[in-house]
Amino acid sequence: MLAGPKLQSLNELLQDASREELIWISGYIAALTSVQQPAKETKVKEFVQDASFTIPACTVVYGTETGNSKKVATDFSNRLKKQGVQAKLKSLDQYKINDLSKESCLIVVMSTQGDGEPPEAAKKFYDHIHKNEISLGHLKYGVLALGDSAYPLFCKAGEDIDMRLYQLGGRRITPLRKCDTDFESDANGWIDEFINAALKFDNAPSGNGSVKTKTAKTGKKIYDGTIAGIVNLNDRGSNKETYHIEIATEEDINYEPGDSLGVVAKNGHAALNKIFELLELDGEEELIYKEQTYKAADLFRSKINIQYLPERIVQQYAKLVKKDIPLVKMDLADLLRIYPPEADQRLNVQLLVNILDPIIPRLYSISSSPSSHGEKEVHVTVSRSKFNVGDQVRYGLCSDYLSCLAEDDELQFYIQRNSSFRLPAPDTDIIMIGPGTGLAPFRSFLFERDAQGHQGRNWLFFGEQHFVSDFLYQTELLSLFDTGVLTKVNTAFSRDQKEKIYVQHKMQQHAAELFEWMQNGAHIYLCGCKDPMSFDVEKTLLNIIATHGNLNESKAEEYLIAMQENGRYHKDVY
Amino acid sequence: MGVNMSESPVERIKKASRGLRGTLKESLLDEHTGAIREDDQALVKFHGMYLQDDRDRREERAAKKLERLYSFMIRLRLPGGLLTPERWETLHHVAGEQSTGVIKITTRQTIQLHGILKSHVKPAISAFNKVHLDSIAACGDVNRNVICSAHPKYSAIHEEIFPYANKISSFLLPKTKAWYEIWLDEEKLAEVSEEDPLYENRYLPRKFKIAIAIPPYNDVDVFTNDIGLIAVVEQNKLIGFNVAAGGGMGTTHGNPETYPRLGTVLGFVKPGDLLKVVYEIVTVQRDNGNRSDRKLSRLKYTIDRMGVDVFKAEVERRSGVQFEPAKKIVFTYRHDNYGWHQNHEGLWYYTAFIENGRIYDDEQVQFKQAFFEIAQTRRAQFRFTCNQNLIIGDIKEEDKSLVEEMLDKYGVIKFTNEASPVRKNSMACVALNTCPLALAEAQRYLPSLVTKIEAILAKYKLQNEGINIRMTGCPNGCARPYISEIGFIGTALGKYNMHLGADVIGTRLNKIYKEGLTEEEILYELDVLFQRFVTTRKKKEAFGDFVMREQIVQSP
Ligand code: SRM
Ligand SMILES: Cc1cc2nc3c(=O)[nH]c(=O)nc-3n(C[C@H](O)[C@H](O)[C@H](O)COP(=O)(O)OP(=O)(O)OC[C@H]3O[C@@H](n4cnc5c(N)ncnc54)[C@H](O)[C@@H]3O)c2cc1C
Ligand SMILES: Cc1cc2nc3c(=O)[nH]c(=O)nc-3n(C[C@H](O)[C@H](O)[C@H](O)COP(=O)(O)O)c2cc1C
Ligand code: SF4
Repeated sequence: MLAGPKLQSLNELLQDASREELIWISGYIAALTSVQQPAKETKVKEFVQDASFTIPACTVVYGTETGNSKKVATDFSNRLKKQGVQAKLKSLDQYKINDLSKESCLIVVMSTQGDGEPPEAAKKFYDHIHKNEISLGHLKYGVLALGDSAYPLFCKAGEDIDMRLYQLGGRRITPLRKCDTDFESDANGWIDEFINAALKFDNAPSGNGSVKTKTAKTGKKIYDGTIAGIVNLNDRGSNKETYHIEIATEEDINYEPGDSLGVVAKNGHAALNKIFELLELDGEEELIYKEQTYKAADLFRSKINIQYLPERIVQQYAKLVKKDIPLVKMDLADLLRIYPPEADQRLNVQLLVNILDPIIPRLYSISSSPSSHGEKEVHVTVSRSKFNVGDQVRYGLCSDYLSCLAEDDELQFYIQRNSSFRLPAPDTDIIMIGPGTGLAPFRSFLFERDAQGHQGRNWLFFGEQHFVSDFLYQTELLSLFDTGVLTKVNTAFSRDQKEKIYVQHKMQQHAAELFEWMQNGAHIYLCGCKDPMSFDVEKTLLNIIATHGNLNESKAEEYLIAMQENGRYHKDVY
Repeated sequence: MGVNMSESPVERIKKASRGLRGTLKESLLDEHTGAIREDDQALVKFHGMYLQDDRDRREERAAKKLERLYSFMIRLRLPGGLLTPERWETLHHVAGEQSTGVIKITTRQTIQLHGILKSHVKPAISAFNKVHLDSIAACGDVNRNVICSAHPKYSAIHEEIFPYANKISSFLLPKTKAWYEIWLDEEKLAEVSEEDPLYENRYLPRKFKIAIAIPPYNDVDVFTNDIGLIAVVEQNKLIGFNVAAGGGMGTTHGNPETYPRLGTVLGFVKPGDLLKVVYEIVTVQRDNGNRSDRKLSRLKYTIDRMGVDVFKAEVERRSGVQFEPAKKIVFTYRHDNYGWHQNHEGLWYYTAFIENGRIYDDEQVQFKQAFFEIAQTRRAQFRFTCNQNLIIGDIKEEDKSLVEEMLDKYGVIKFTNEASPVRKNSMACVALNTCPLALAEAQRYLPSLVTKIEAILAKYKLQNEGINIRMTGCPNGCARPYISEIGFIGTALGKYNMHLGADVIGTRLNKIYKEGLTEEEILYELDVLFQRFVTTRKKKEAFGDFVMREQIVQSP
């Protein structure tokens, strides 16, 4: 039907379109043909070219912690480019804030972290636009927010950005979209809308401050699992407790190495008993939470967070009981005990429940590999977080909950994708830096590479406190080493000698070889504790690049950023 | 000559080792394991160390995905078993900082430390080296620690004979300097030749042991050694040595070709000829020992295969020394005499009872603390006995009360005094949890068994009998159980073969009485035997002699 240049340009377009793009294009064209007159050939062609008219250039920025926003932003920018738009892609920590006032079209893809905060890499940008009055009268923009509806402040950071850009004079091309953990299809849909709207933008109303945002329906897939095995990997005498937990399911689990497992913990009975006593509840009372009715016992056990309430909630409670309470975080039991309502008043439990947050899920890097351990099994590596409150030993909510599970107990979970933490091509070398539980995804990587017969070399840096008691998965790593899957292993045990030795010291010791691997195209993966480990490791990486690449500090930084942008430097730190 | 069968893998490892270096340096740097590479595990023995693991922890650690709890046992080369107080202090610190803390006196008069992690081995060795202690050739297919009767009081010329232990040990040391390179990071000196005419590049077919006994004391169990030297003293002068060869204890369950054997006396040699003769006995074994089956490679099998006469003639030919007929010697003791004794010069010696050679501190007795404080005074030396005990000695009259006070303060004297004669004459090997070859418990178990045996002895009013009991966790015989009045040899957890009938002075092997006994069965058998002993014993007859006379076991 098509001929000559038309066919050629269609082919050009289709040639390097991804599968998703093809699906989108076909859907798009189908939509077009259904509303328009039976399309004339020229119409289609015109449309493809016309797309570039209204937005000649567009900057796509992202703020990400686990790479989801980056993946979406990258897809987005590629698609814009295919449309002929000059799209620039930038991570928000690389974005020059002064450029903002020059921008005519901006797309922000950003997740929410912590208690409604922006990701680390987006903090500077976030603070800057909130603290400064910049005039953005000529800016057209759109914000796509990634989050998890299980958190009380769902997509808060994205919301804030969207609102602030509006306040500074920007005009929305499309309303804010809040995506839940299954964000892929929603993000795609929003991009469609954005492109569509951009085409017609000049005629569209600019919207107002409270433009209706669409929230994606939560499509989180919940799996019912059973604990098939649980063992503390640390030996006697260790300061640590790290549990290897194997979870079995009836159905296949859809995950890839690099993904995490999300769990909503249940509150412990000891704390619950205290609260029930203070609230004079017997557990049978009916209470409403988020439009559903629960028995008090069930609600407090599995829905409501009672541990370490944020200041925000503590202050709402203060209002409820009409007392002054300092700006602190506090457990609900302590709050009720130390600041009870006045003697003549009874606390309305329903009102209390109304202000409380749900228990937020915690993530654990998956340490199994689907190819090696099967699709009906998933493993995590959980460090039981232990701390002192006063002279009392306390445990973190979720890690404690998981650590205390026993074989055959049931556990619900979901899969949190991390598309920026993926194995590279089979013959690409990888360098894995994963002290402590940072080892978890690398166990998955190594087993996957072993099962798939990947030829790339694998170099692991692992660290903990003591060689004898804390070498997580040692025997497995040894057999991977013996069979040649693991090419090199370097370990740093910080407390086995007088001076502390950490993974970054081992990296420094092998700097020349490490740099050689990098130059040869190796990917670097960093996982584990964010502060201070990931910062120290990154400093060391920069130092190695500078020394062995003969680069000054800023060039070394560029080198690492380039690696990151080319998807060769991956971080999953927490 | 030699045996024409394919050589055992250890032979290949030795020859390829470049002077016992192997890849030990690399093994030490391996960060992923507490072990060393397989071939190096054979070589490290020549450096006085064994790679072991805590056998109690295997299952639990496997469940935790942790490798075995590997560590090293280090055995010092200590000819004659003498330590100066300065060296004791070092030993005390190394034991505390790098090992399990327990100082173990062995049945060959030296000490072992257990549980030294790979990363702690070099610091430990470097500390030892600072006080000129080493572990070279304490294990491996070479001549081991040369032992010598420990107590200076038994002979006025102990001081003259004792140095032979050191002389022989140095004379038979391998020439390689690998020990210094690997463990102390010393540079390899190109100009120092490592040419080794004795060991060549193949070393001996098997371990080799030499003992010197100074009659009437046979604490060294001289006839259980590859070479047993018995000092011949006439009118307080050393005139030479009776030389015995081909002693050894080790057997293997179910292998009838293996057996314990007492050394055969070849004859008498003068002091000036001693080194030559010893050297050539070693070379004859080097050239004729079995290098394919390590179970049959000790000198005892070589001699029996060659025939004693042929063997003796070969030694004479090589050394150019003719054996004179053996001189008459008399042994009267093998056990240690506890408590204070004075030698001919008036120096004082205190022999402390150290059950199974384990020196530790607990609530009841603080051996380590006592010996450490005594060492700090610099007023005494430390001598180990082949019965796993400690002699604090060479104490001047004026210092005696000071030492005594410390021994008393930390419960050592009380511990020694209160132990029963049978306990003081009992001995067990290490066995579990460190010995990889152990089939049953020994040093962790014997003390409680002895308590039960004490009760039976008391029942028959035999509580003052110092019957000699020895237990090992396997048939290798590290506590020389084949030459004890009652020997227990582990066959499986909780099961022991019971041997009976050696003599008190160590010149007659015992015989197997019953196999695979449980504790209950052991106690039952002993009850029956002791009852018979009280009723039919001849005056002052030792239990071992009684058993033989009554043909409770068949004499050889
Ligand atoms: C520590 C000690 C026992 C003790 O409790 O004191 C000991 C302990 C071990 N002996 Fe022994 N032997 C010890 C004296 C003996 C003796 C007694 C003696 O020499 O007076 C014998 C019997 C005499 C003999 O050699 O025949 C002895 C015969 C063996 C054998 C069997 C040798 C044979 O020819 O059959 C082995 C196994 C082997 O060599 O293959 C062995 C092996 C071992 C090893 C190293 C196990 C191994 O090969 O891995 C044991 C280490 C256990 C540990 O955890 O410490 N040990 N071993 C003694 C150290 C002596 C020293 O300081 O050098
Ligand atoms: C992508 C990702 C992957 C991860 N992978 C892993 C992994 O593989 N393995 C792993 O172990 N962890 C992993 N984590 C961390 C994990 O998600 C949890 O953060 C961790 O287990 C702690 O959660 P918790 O519920 O046990 O502790 P929480 O209850 O959340 O407590 C966390 C901290 O808050 C403080 N705190 C809590 N309550 C109180 C109180 N009452 N008073 C004072 N202070 C208090 C303490 O400092 C405590 O340590 C990962 C995190 C992310 C984001
Ligand atoms: C520690 C942590 C805290 C989070 N806090 C929130 C939150 O407060 N609100 C929210 O909507 N999502 C929250 N999330 C969910 C993330 O925003 C969501 O997983 C998102 O897909 C991450 O995208 P990214 O990979 O681009 O960072 C949190 C996730 C983590 C790991
Ligand atoms: S006799 Fe056996 S069990 Fe005992 S130490 Fe010797 S080799 Fe080990």
